[in-house]
Amino acid sequence: MIINTTILSWVTFIYFGSAIFYIFRMVTGKEFWGPLASVIAFIGLIAQTFGLILRWFESYKMGIGHAPLSNLYESLIFFSWTIVLLYLIIEWRIKSRNLGAFVVPFAFFSMAFASFSPNVNARIQPLIPALQSNWLISHVITCFFGYAALTIACGLGFMYLLKGLEKGERPRLFFRFLPGREIVDELTYHSVVIGFIFLTLGIITGSVWAYSAWGSYWSWDPKETWSLITWLIYAAMLHSRFVRGWRGKRMAIMSIIGFASVLFTYFGVNYLPGLHSYF
Amino acid sequence: MKKPFFSFLSSLKLTIILLIIIAVASILGTIIPQQYEGGESFRHLSPELVKVFNSLQLFDMYHSVWFIILMGLLSLNLIVCSLNRLPASWKLFSNIPSPDRRKPFENLPPESVILIEKDRNEVINSVENLLRRKYKKIRRKDADSITFFYGEKGAYSNFGVYIIHLSILIFITGAIIGSLLGFEAFVNIPEGESTNTVHLGRQKGVKKLDFTVRCDKFTVSFYDNGMPKEYRSNLSFLKNNNVILQGPLLVNHPITFNGIRFYQASYGSTPGGQAHITVNRENKEETTIKVKQKDSFYLKEKNAKVNIVRIEKNFMSMGPAVLIHIQNPEGTMRVWVFKRIEKIRDRIPGLFKKVPTFNPGRYKPYYFKLNRIDSNYYTGLQLSHDPGVVIVAIGSFFVILGLFITFFSSHKRLWIRVDDQEGKSRISVGATSNKDPVGLKRETEHLLRHFSSMG
Repeated sequence: MIINTTILSWVTFIYFGSAIFYIFRMVTGKEFWGPLASVIAFIGLIAQTFGLILRWFESYKMGIGHAPLSNLYESLIFFSWTIVLLYLIIEWRIKSRNLGAFVVPFAFFSMAFASFSPNVNARIQPLIPALQSNWLISHVITCFFGYAALTIACGLGFMYLLKGLEKGERPRLFFRFLPGREIVDELTYHSVVIGFIFLTLGIITGSVWAYSAWGSYWSWDPKETWSLITWLIYAAMLHSRFVRGWRGKRMAIMSIIGFASVLFTYFGVNYLPGLHSYF
Repeated sequence: MKKPFFSFLSSLKLTIILLIIIAVASILGTIIPQQYEGGESFRHLSPELVKVFNSLQLFDMYHSVWFIILMGLLSLNLIVCSLNRLPASWKLFSNIPSPDRRKPFENLPPESVILIEKDRNEVINSVENLLRRKYKKIRRKDADSITFFYGEKGAYSNFGVYIIHLSILIFITGAIIGSLLGFEAFVNIPEGESTNTVHLGRQKGVKKLDFTVRCDKFTVSFYDNGMPKEYRSNLSFLKNNNVILQGPLLVNHPITFNGIRFYQASYGSTPGGQAHITVNRENKEETTIKVKQKDSFYLKEKNAKVNIVRIEKNFMSMGPAVLIHIQNPEGTMRVWVFKRIEKIRDRIPGLFKKVPTFNPGRYKPYYFKLNRIDSNYYTGLQLSHDPGVVIVAIGSFFVILGLFITFFSSHKRLWIRVDDQEGKSRISVGATSNKDPVGLKRETEHLLRHFSSMG
């Protein structure tokens, strides 16, 4: 096993630890676990960044140098990297660790899938002709930052729905760390906006790339079509908020439905025939 | 009163219904194989179902009449909705409300009112200076002992949504222009040959180009692990037998000639390549000959003629092989000449007893060996001509611009009142914003801090 995959599979365990501590913090209601969870997530992020750079470096040493964004394994690693990066920025900006228990597990799942699934090949592979393009990096980066922001919106959606289960005047132990509903709603909205903009950029960079690789900026390939469906779901969500004033539970449910569509765009499409077969 | 039809056309309900139908239809399109993806995959459907699907144009759904009607309805809905709301936004953009409105100052939080120990006129001057520097459309109104100001910024933010909607209409326009005036086609050209006739994609039939494309050479190279590394066609574009443009065509590097873009789409090899066969006699003399299918050569010593019957790139999964018939006065002998006969022999013990025709030394005292088969490649080119691309690119620019204006700018309106309170000057700041309440709060706080520092 090459050293970068070793580091990256360790990161899987680090994120697992962080996720467990965030959940401990929420379930026990003790702040003690919070800083521990944050520090571990941060260490994981640094190790993962190092692992990704090392992988990049190793690919050059093999004579097939390219950014580590070119197959399912690398995209899963990058996905979890963007989730943790975005999450830690949000944690730092809003000075609250409440979201961690709902978001960091996604980063862990993505890493675990990359590291342990027998269907995911961790080897550094050379780029096939279709992927030899400068648009690869900008397309993958915009898409995955979008996916990460929408993952966070989904986590917030779950948080809102969980908050809805709360009964009685005094918050019970389990719910102590859940923030107010308006705050969750506002954060969901902001995450969706960021995700929507990156998704749009991802679709545009993708179609520019398709125009130079496949002969058409849009060919109704399943992945393209599903990215459009996802875009329409979030567009509908934003309209219902702006025009109809929908808030709260409906937004939470829509952010979860939207994320399901993101996941299908990412994974499900591989089971349909199409051009995007390398991811 | 609006007509009911018009109000339905302009309703968000219609938008949502249309978006859901388009989304569901698009999902169907990703499940039902589309015609241009190669029609073989729907062979497992029953003929009745194929008939129904065909009549609903489900095999070319994204270009079907009903899908285009849906897109048309969506555009219409978008236009009507936008036109409906535009006057109100225009009013917000162009109107300048009077500075002495009461409402902005009702229920002001205490931190939005500050007292300054300074002469009122002096305070008014510095407030006005600051407003003129940082805000637009400044209005001032002086009453008996009160001065009112109005200022705003980011009025353009009201138009962000219209820019996005406009860009979607631009996309649709670009797509329509592309499908009406453009075409997609493909052609296979063997190495060394040229053509001016290409096969149209969706429109079907052939198209004659007013120039000729020649494939001078096609090469494919592989990485050490067997993955493809590069497909390269050296193309020449000719007009009246004069080469106008020459260049290598690679995946991701299309060539444009006469407004038509050429893409490296596929490749293949044509049967009947050249085989290189070595003939060895009694381990002494060795000659190598290049032959094609139906060629023949002589073995003088035995007065025999060797006919090349078949050339196979991969015969029964055992690699390259050539079938020869050796004719001499006594009769005909068949021999399959393999490239990797040693490996095959090692894998199957007693091979030559079981299958004598595989024995390269069957015709004594000769020994045949296949060195290699030259590939006769053809390159598969995709052609496209799409005058709508420029319009779609403009649409992309506008959609990004519109998104940034919509989500990252806000129309902030500011009312400021300066009056006397117990011998001090009092400044009250009331503010509204069409979105981003957090940013508005930050802005008024900043402003108030600035005012209090003058005192």
